[in-house]
Amino acid sequence: MKKFYVGVAIALLLTILAVLFVPGVDDFVEQTFQRYLGRAAR
Amino acid sequence: MKIFKNTVIVILCLLLIPVTAISTAAVKQRFADGPNFVFSGGPLEAGELYAGSEPDWSFVNDIPTIEMQLLEPPTSRIIWTVEHNSKLYVWSGYMGTTVGQIWKQWPLQAEEDGRALIRINGIRYERQLNRIQSGPELDGITQAITAKYPSRTTSEAVESGDVWLFEATSRD
Repeated sequence: MKKFYVGVAIALLLTILAVLFVPGVDDFVEQTFQRYLGRAAR
Repeated sequence: MKIFKNTVIVILCLLLIPVTAISTAAVKQRFADGPNFVFSGGPLEAGELYAGSEPDWSFVNDIPTIEMQLLEPPTSRIIWTVEHNSKLYVWSGYMGTTVGQIWKQWPLQAEEDGRALIRINGIRYERQLNRIQSGPELDGITQAITAKYPSRTTSEAVESGDVWLFEATSRD
């Protein structure tokens, strides 16, 4: 499990860096979230 | 039992990744000049500040969305808008749903302090949001809304509080 936790920590760090600095990733995240939010609100 | 516990931990850890992505995107947008899609943005800073007589708002009927910022708190979001009888209107739906009550904070904030800034085609307009809950003009406004958008907004929804409707008047 220890390797799994390290892997998750790395994945979280990469996620944050990608959303912050990779062009288009923040848009993708927001649009995906918007779709799920829209369904939940109906 | 240990397998069950580990499975739950793995699922929670994997769920943490999209939650982190969404949270990061939301925080990032707060530092941007204006909103993007669904997350609130920072203050509307770019764009000429309109000065002059009351505009002919009919042009907004050809624009799908506008950016709107309240002065307090200074956060912005993308919203639908419509013009009716030369007046500008914005509204918030889903106010009667649990998700709406959690997600839609700006109508409550606008009712306390209606000073707002809207940006349309790169031009910023200072406005005052005044909530409308009843009146003879409701039918015309809601008809304009349903003609423009795939919306089921009705006068009854406005009167019942499921839709919060605001007229964006001049601040003068």
